[in-house]
Amino acid sequence: MSETANSEATARALPSWAAPESSDINDEALKALETYKKRDPSKVVVRFKAVGNAPIMKQNFYKITASNRFQAVIQFLRKELGWKAGDPLFTYINLAFSPAPDDTVSNLFKSFCTDGHLIVNYSTTAAWG
Amino acid sequence: MSNYGTTTRHHPAAAAVKDRGTDYHTTLFRRLSWEGTVPLEIRVDPNELPANSDRGLECYFIQAPRVSYLPLLMPEIRRFLMDVVFDEAAAKVLKEEEWWFECDDGTLLKWHWPIGLIYDNHSILATIRPGSSAASTMATPLRLILHLASPPTDKLLLSPSAESCKQAFMGQLKEADFIRWGNTKRITGLRKVDQDGLWEGIKEHNFDDYWRVAAKVTPTTSPGNRPHSPGPPPSSVSMHGRPPSADAAGPTERDGAYNVRSVPVRIYLPDGPVIQDLVPPILEDGTPHTLSHFLSTHVPLLFPPRPPAPPPSRSNPRPQAPSVAELAYALVQGVLTPPDSEMAWLGACLAGADGWLNVCVGISRK
Repeated sequence: MSETANSEATARALPSWAAPESSDINDEALKALETYKKRDPSKVVVRFKAVGNAPIMKQNFYKITASNRFQAVIQFLRKELGWKAGDPLFTYINLAFSPAPDDTVSNLFKSFCTDGHLIVNYSTTAAWG
Repeated sequence: MSNYGTTTRHHPAAAAVKDRGTDYHTTLFRRLSWEGTVPLEIRVDPNELPANSDRGLECYFIQAPRVSYLPLLMPEIRRFLMDVVFDEAAAKVLKEEEWWFECDDGTLLKWHWPIGLIYDNHSILATIRPGSSAASTMATPLRLILHLASPPTDKLLLSPSAESCKQAFMGQLKEADFIRWGNTKRITGLRKVDQDGLWEGIKEHNFDDYWRVAAKVTPTTSPGNRPHSPGPPPSSVSMHGRPPSADAAGPTERDGAYNVRSVPVRIYLPDGPVIQDLVPPILEDGTPHTLSHFLSTHVPLLFPPRPPAPPPSRSNPRPQAPSVAELAYALVQGVLTPPDSEMAWLGACLAGADGWLNVCVGISRK
């Protein structure tokens, strides 16, 4: 019994810098993090353009919430096209590259918008590998 | 255990990357970030261990390259589990394509994030949890839980195969290329064998193989292409870089880190959004874009802009700006990065293998 107590005491006898209280995290910084976590409700215009044999959409301009991930854009596009799960669909920005699915529409818009639109190309075959 | 080491060591005495006059310091920093590794502890979810597994051994430790990806570790992990932990009957039934990773805090690990980024992001996150202590989370393995079934495919976004990871990697390379130059000609101009060589270099963790190709698409930092700073702003400087006359020095200059349109950079806030924006290497006033300017522009609440220094006087000819309380810090490749680092240099020397400079923001302690 006394042995257990001893070893516990040893384990707890850490130098003060090794076990700081959680309260030493700056509240102002944590508040700032919460602010940046808030979703941006603004919308940006996404313009879909078919490539190759992909069907053309009747309406190809959409306002999409900027905080959405690109994955949501892909899902939206699949729904609009009536694509079934497993039907191939490849998406690109500016006829150049496929963005990461977890990148946000907002980030892509800030870096790649053309004339106020984010241009998303879609194809049924891999076009720009 | 030596059977399970993935990290192929290459220490050629010569074989330095001799390309377009890459200078000693550039190569040094590129090699340091390439050789960086992080400790991972991989434990099979105890509830999913098949019958007759050797329960004493279900944990595997690995020192993984920062520039690598989780799908590239799978062969080594599988070999260990099949040889040591699972019995033959279980090994036959298990499907590797259903395996997925979770951090011990319950967050899913994405297949397409570089391992170094996963490590930095999660290590920082652990330091701001209630009850956490800086000492207990630094330099300890990142604890991963390996699940053997029912992957949440919609959240993982990608299948766990090395092939889909390679496609995502190529996508990131091209996006970085587009950000730098406004097109992807440098990447698409590579022969197929060279494009594949980049990925093979990562897979084999071979610095020379990777940089033999990467040097063709990464901006140069040779001495002389860095602008003299702080200089008087040339009248024709725009956000697209330096005046055309600066290109007179030839191809090295044209491919220089300070001549790109924008540096491919992402800011990772702990548990928060990823922020990406255009980052011109040179500011409007002709001075290089520094990390502190970049952070105080994009996350001003965490990196408040420093007030200007008082005017110089006879008693104080070189006055310093008043200091402000430090709320946050920035890690690049796991390294605390000086605020006056120049974005263009960071982008050319400390970017990940996919061309992206990942800045992980941590919260300072009082």
